[in-house]
Amino acid sequence: MRTLSIFIFLFLSLSTISFSQTKISGKVLDEKKKGLPGVNVLIKGSYDGSTSKDDGSFEFETDEEGPQVLVFQLMGFKSIEIAIHCEGNAIQIPDQILVEAITEMNAVTISAGAMEASDEKKSVILRPLDIVTTPSAMGDIVGAFQTLPGTSTVGNDGRLFVRGGDASEVGIYIDGMRVGNAYGSTAGNVPTRTRFNPNLFKGTFFSTGGYSAEYGQALSSALALNTKDLSIRSQGDLSIMSVGGGYAHTLSSEKQSLTFSANYFDLKPYQSLVKQNFDWERAPNGWDIELSAQKKLAKGGLWKILARTESGGMEIWQPEPGQEGRGQLIRLRNKYSFAQSNWKNAFENGWTLFAGAALSSNFDDIRIDSIRLERKNQLAHGKFTATKDFSDRLSMNTGIEYFNHQFDESLVDLNFSRDYVDHQFYFFTEWDYYLNKNLVFRAGLRAGQSSLNKEQWLDPRASLAYKISESSQVSFAAGSFSQMPVENLRVLNQTLKNTESNHLILNYLLQKEGITFRAEGFYKGYENLVVFEGYPQSPQNPTNLGKGYAQGVDIFFRDRKSIKNTDYWITYSFVDSKRQFDQFQSEVQPSFAPKHNFSVVAKHFILDLKSQLGISFSMNDGYPYHNPNDGEEMSSKTESFQSLSFSWSYLPRPNLIIHFGVNNVLGRENVFGYRFAQQANSQGVFESIPSGQVAPRFLFLGIFLTLSKDKNANQLNNL
Amino acid sequence: MKKLILTFALSFLWISLSMASDPAFEKAMKKQIIAMDQIANAEQSKEVANGFLRIAEAKSEEWLPLYYAGLIHIEAAFRFEVNKDQYLDQALEYIDKAEKLAPANSEVTALKGYAIMGKISLDPASRGQNLSPQAMQLFGKAINLDRENPRALYLMAQMEYGMAQFFGSGTDKACGMVRLSLEQFEKEESIITEDYILPKWGKRSAQQMMNNCN
Repeated sequence: MRTLSIFIFLFLSLSTISFSQTKISGKVLDEKKKGLPGVNVLIKGSYDGSTSKDDGSFEFETDEEGPQVLVFQLMGFKSIEIAIHCEGNAIQIPDQILVEAITEMNAVTISAGAMEASDEKKSVILRPLDIVTTPSAMGDIVGAFQTLPGTSTVGNDGRLFVRGGDASEVGIYIDGMRVGNAYGSTAGNVPTRTRFNPNLFKGTFFSTGGYSAEYGQALSSALALNTKDLSIRSQGDLSIMSVGGGYAHTLSSEKQSLTFSANYFDLKPYQSLVKQNFDWERAPNGWDIELSAQKKLAKGGLWKILARTESGGMEIWQPEPGQEGRGQLIRLRNKYSFAQSNWKNAFENGWTLFAGAALSSNFDDIRIDSIRLERKNQLAHGKFTATKDFSDRLSMNTGIEYFNHQFDESLVDLNFSRDYVDHQFYFFTEWDYYLNKNLVFRAGLRAGQSSLNKEQWLDPRASLAYKISESSQVSFAAGSFSQMPVENLRVLNQTLKNTESNHLILNYLLQKEGITFRAEGFYKGYENLVVFEGYPQSPQNPTNLGKGYAQGVDIFFRDRKSIKNTDYWITYSFVDSKRQFDQFQSEVQPSFAPKHNFSVVAKHFILDLKSQLGISFSMNDGYPYHNPNDGEEMSSKTESFQSLSFSWSYLPRPNLIIHFGVNNVLGRENVFGYRFAQQANSQGVFESIPSGQVAPRFLFLGIFLTLSKDKNANQLNNL
Repeated sequence: MKKLILTFALSFLWISLSMASDPAFEKAMKKQIIAMDQIANAEQSKEVANGFLRIAEAKSEEWLPLYYAGLIHIEAAFRFEVNKDQYLDQALEYIDKAEKLAPANSEVTALKGYAIMGKISLDPASRGQNLSPQAMQLFGKAINLDRENPRALYLMAQMEYGMAQFFGSGTDKACGMVRLSLEQFEKEESIITEDYILPKWGKRSAQQMMNNCN
């Protein structure tokens, strides 16, 4: 019996032994010496602790004894630990100051020149969905960016023109890998589109200047498209459109996903129904197949593949100024392939590594009447980058790149051909330093070397951003940019040097809930532009003797909250640009750089109709053109360009979208310039033909259906 | 007699060890769970979440305190005037940590879906497209991991209901699901004791939703 009582005694005493309690109190302050509430104060390894009050004070008791570690934690602040000794007496902790950590959430970001479309990050200008739903874009990525500041619409070209720069001055990247011939091949003033479907991408980064040292071979702009990560569901997507159709199938599991798609388009049936301005022999048509795959690797890496091949063509009669009849017959066949693979892994120790390889291959077979021209352009790109956050203040992005560029053009019947191969090597490094969360400096350097013209060059770049208040900031960027001349000039003179530009940009950005206001001023100087003798169709003796400038201001305002279910943005860009380039003898305003550019996009969601209505309006003050009847170069200007577009997206069921769109609803006869006869007629006048629109309007109707075996099939699908 | 008592005492010790490997942990958890049910403002929510985080800090192998810290942040984002995005991001951070400790856990998976549902609710027009399938997938996964998890069923029902309303389609599927969840809530209630520290929230909200169904 005694044993039992001993046991009972032991048990009881065990649970009632009371250690001496130590009372701990103190105060936590922020950097401005103000009380910091909500701080978790705890004794490491125990459950004892408390939360600081509004004035930053805290107080608690602990049973722990001896030397202990007191920890102070608050989300967004750097934790601190101090040693204490608990021995039953009350401890008064001296005031502790918590320093705010610099995180992606609270730190200023450099916004000079940059416009980001993303769901994930802050300081975005567009959401990925906006690209698909901008009425004037008709589902083209670049079409949506043409409603953003710093761009101008050139309706008979379709490509992206940034701040007085030619379309070739925009570098397009997918997952950091350069894309060659990103636009479809075209002929005879038929506008082109981006080859890639916007649904491939989760986010885009569009810069109108002063961009990162990671990007080169682009004088004016970088457009970086980032592909989606793992698809989360197996599904089929069927599209039936007024211009064609397609099917995409996605297979997905926890660790990997794969999408295969095939599309076909032909504008012939459409063109037989809707009146065309152009004289088509064969309407544009083509097909593409595409494969994309994503795989999560064991150690947290992600491996992506994107491969695409396509073929298309068109035949068009182009009337000649001053001549009777249908004019020249231009026939175009194009074959294009793009493949890239990349791997990225963010390691626990703060290093992120990226490796990628890409190949773009383009083949054009162009026949102008009886002349047959073949052009092959191939770009291979290899890239390796390492980024590292040394602390929350200092980070680095460094990489090496290799490009292999092959170009070949031949006049088939004349047995004449010319070509070049260029090997380019690059090294870049860029460093970000946060002085505090409101002020960041960035310095970068890009070094390049070309085997063809034996040139070596260095492009330094720098920028900074300062947060003025919680919702506003200013950024400044400066840098130099180099780009090899376009292929058809380079092949004529293989010693042509880089063309060069220097950017200066001052940006102000205000972002409040639902409101974005952005104003940017810029100056861009051009050096070593290529000038040649003869006509753009047949240039001769190109040299690097051209130069020029572009300067201006652009303003962007977006409001997603003032009007219910409505989102609209307004853009105005002013560009004053003159340059001596191509065949021009003096500095002139280029045809692709209208002075005043204005656009509005508005989208309104009507819940009862399950519909989104969109409207967009673009205008500029007219395109300069050269009239040989007038002595001065580029001294004439077209009428103002104006276009109103409308779209209606209807979602009757979660897996069904019906989209209807019309471009240039009012049917305005826009003219982008004039083509003049090369010889004056008998009266001594150069006759001309306006370069206008393919058709007064473009109508689009599409039905997009998603099929999924998933038992949760009735859910919102990716558009 | 001595032997018997010793055996009895030892076995008692063994039982208590296996039932509650760490009474101090359970005691601390229970205290915070009781406090959690009484949260009435953002400050209290912070205090209780901090309490759970202290436990998580001391018992770094337990997923449950991180789970509750995540839950409190989600609920605070729905209920109080706080920086909602920041709270939900923070919740996701805790949930990710919990997921590392307890991979393929139905409760953790469902809670992650709940946090993402919160993210969607802040900007449905632009986030819905991308995040809705993610949330649905997580709820689906949570149900697959444990068909008797009433919270996974209820949250999935909630999501289905919202979408059925948006598209004006029938709410039958959603209502059927919430009914299932209520059955599971009843079942769960029968095993809940005073010492129960696993997730048990959600019944009241499920009942409210059921009222809309009838």
